[in-house]
Amino acid sequence: MAEYRIRHCERQLEGGIHPETHKDLSTSAPCVFIDDPKRLVFPIHFSGGGPGESLVSIGDTVSQGTPIIKCRSGIIHVASRAGKVIDITDHAITHPSNDVSASIIIEPNGSKDQSYLEPLVWPFDADTLRDRAIEAGILGLGGAGFPSFKKWSDGTQTLIINAAECEPYLTADDTLMRIDTHSMIRGACMLSQTLAIKTIVIGIEDNKPEALEAIENALKESRSDCFFDIVLLDTKYPSGSARQLVWLTLGIEVPTGSRSVESGVIVHNPGTLAALSRAIDGKPITDRIVTLTGEALTTPKNVIAPIGTPISYLIEATNTNPASLASITVGGPMMGYPVTDFDAGITKTTNCLLAREVEIPPESPCIRCGACATVCPVRLQPQQMVFALKGGSLDRAIHEGLTDCIECAACNAVCPSHIPLAEWFRLGRFEAREQANEQRLATEARERFEARNRRLERIAQEQEAKRAARKAKTADALEKARRAREESA
Amino acid sequence: MIKRPDYPPMDTAIVMRTVLIALIPGIIAMTLFFGVGVLLNITTAILTALACEALCLGLRKRPIHPRLTDLSAVLTGVLIALALPQAAPWWLVIAATASSVILGKHLYGGLGQNPVNPAMLGYALMLISAPVAMTTLWINPLATPDVATAWSAYLGQASDAVTGATTLDLYKTEFRSLTAIEASRNPLFSQAHLGLIYGYEWVALAYLIGGLWLIYQRVITWHTPVGLLATLIVISAFFSFDPDTATPVWVHLVAGAGVFAAFFILTDPVSGATSPKGRLWFAIGVGILTYLIRTYGQYPDAIAFAVLLMNFAAPMIDHYTRPRIMGREASVKGPGGQS
Repeated sequence: MAEYRIRHCERQLEGGIHPETHKDLSTSAPCVFIDDPKRLVFPIHFSGGGPGESLVSIGDTVSQGTPIIKCRSGIIHVASRAGKVIDITDHAITHPSNDVSASIIIEPNGSKDQSYLEPLVWPFDADTLRDRAIEAGILGLGGAGFPSFKKWSDGTQTLIINAAECEPYLTADDTLMRIDTHSMIRGACMLSQTLAIKTIVIGIEDNKPEALEAIENALKESRSDCFFDIVLLDTKYPSGSARQLVWLTLGIEVPTGSRSVESGVIVHNPGTLAALSRAIDGKPITDRIVTLTGEALTTPKNVIAPIGTPISYLIEATNTNPASLASITVGGPMMGYPVTDFDAGITKTTNCLLAREVEIPPESPCIRCGACATVCPVRLQPQQMVFALKGGSLDRAIHEGLTDCIECAACNAVCPSHIPLAEWFRLGRFEAREQANEQRLATEARERFEARNRRLERIAQEQEAKRAARKAKTADALEKARRAREESA
Repeated sequence: MIKRPDYPPMDTAIVMRTVLIALIPGIIAMTLFFGVGVLLNITTAILTALACEALCLGLRKRPIHPRLTDLSAVLTGVLIALALPQAAPWWLVIAATASSVILGKHLYGGLGQNPVNPAMLGYALMLISAPVAMTTLWINPLATPDVATAWSAYLGQASDAVTGATTLDLYKTEFRSLTAIEASRNPLFSQAHLGLIYGYEWVALAYLIGGLWLIYQRVITWHTPVGLLATLIVISAFFSFDPDTATPVWVHLVAGAGVFAAFFILTDPVSGATSPKGRLWFAIGVGILTYLIRTYGQYPDAIAFAVLLMNFAAPMIDHYTRPRIMGREASVKGPGGQS
């Protein structure tokens, strides 16, 4: 039995809101596998892990697990089902831009062909595990899609399992913890033992008693010597934001501009750890749990779906006609984004498809009431930031703290003027990143230019010195010769 | 037990409505002690405010519907009406309200754009342009006028029997020659009832109740009222070591617009400082200026000028009172970025 304790979080989330959770909508039905769709879509550049390149050609036959995309970060995405590559073309993607992008289209053929990796045999070192995570395409499955191996630095003290799932409607993590508890615990233990992490913290909101019970049972059966510190959090949004969770569970404020890893903490989603556990056994990520929920769906539920399954197919799986929906939210109601083309396929980060009709009241002017500031979990003053952004001053918004915004959209939820604050901040942060990139490139170019100038100058100086030396030598020789002539004369 | 809401009301119109509801106890107390002139003024001001709002929206080619119905104009009207002398003639109320809404609000771009408090701007303008009406038409609560008297005052024939200078002014000018003991012999300042000023203590109490309810409803925070009232108390208590020359604490606190302003005027979020700490400093600034202008200035009350002056300082206060952002060593101070 692994050693563990359960404690109530002694800290209170600063700011935050209590939205209606609506979680029972999707948890009342059991989680089911869905039948394979007729086609699977894998965007080459937007599958997570950065832009990539295709490893297959049209007409290729692939097995389940065959690498099909290699990303710039190294991450490899595999075919989630055996079948045939019928096309590589621009296709609708699951992305906030609602754009099309080059995608691999696979038609599953129903065969059980598998092409998995060799299971890793304990003991293995951290590098082996990193390589495995790359080959198995392990990304943050909570929604960010950050390549997991990049977080695994030596000298990490704590692994936090982010089981808060504070977004309303979402129950994918909750479901995973109920049905796949052992994989999650095993993945966490393997990672911890490889990186010599002693403590594993599980941050879980107190509205998931079933998951908590499952975790307790799994820990009682586990033979790991890791210490599990289960922290019960008050149900409050956004306690599951990485920075907020690190602070709530450990009291560490991750400094601005750095990642939690730099503070000695790794934060992982339960799904990521379960996927890691399977990757160690040789199975790359081919499926994920997706919450299909919202009042507009006839039978909301959680499903286990192959990566690449078209959204329309999943909507149909809830006995709902996709044509009856104008758009669907990918992710939760707070941080999700609308997608209008249901041909797009789900990616590894698609944790929820939310269909509901929300009436957004018309926006009115900001009266600076400050409600947004009171709910901001990072103590920003959104009213000041949006004022700067609407005035076209990105600099001033950054000065007010725009780059510290976690885009949780708690401010949106309480604004009496119904201003889409978070959308402004998302846009502003995007522009700020672009600007920083441009600045970096400019600085690099300038530095190169200056280095070249210095080099040329140095060469010129050396040549000058040589020339002077030669001149002096010649003068010397001439002088000597003159003296010799005078003496001989 | 009604649960305290987690957040302020989630609609601008409901915010305004909540403030209006919170004003009801004050309005009732004012009417009881100063006569129905208060209600006449409020009605006139509301109608004027709505007319001006509609006119401006029309001239600015803005949709009338959402803005006119958000009650912000109504609130401005009620606030200015409560701030004006209770025996003010109709034209004064109309002029004050019109300048509040047109000059104080729409000239700058309407709701949310005003750099200064519209009600106080209208009040200050009237104080400068109609000084006699603004300083002599205050009702003496010992002589609450009947409906007929209030009506004739509204039409411009105020009776000298019921009007005079403000109580605050009265204490400063007429009692300058008296000792504190002598002053307290005046029935207005008699210690017989609660040891306060006749009528005013009930009005202040009514506003206090409404204000506390606003805090409970999370429409305002404690910082602003506490900042103003505490500053007034501390400064006037300090100078009260010589009760014969200084205006006592309770007169400062209750006689003027102190409590009303602390909860309903300074709390205008648009023109004030925006962070909790900033609101505290804003209110302290108003408190200091109010005391100074009341003591050394020639005006009957000083809240309006103090608020307007601090409105101009609000952006600077905002620059120096930003909260420390999570993950940073210290808060960002000072202006920054290209404006």
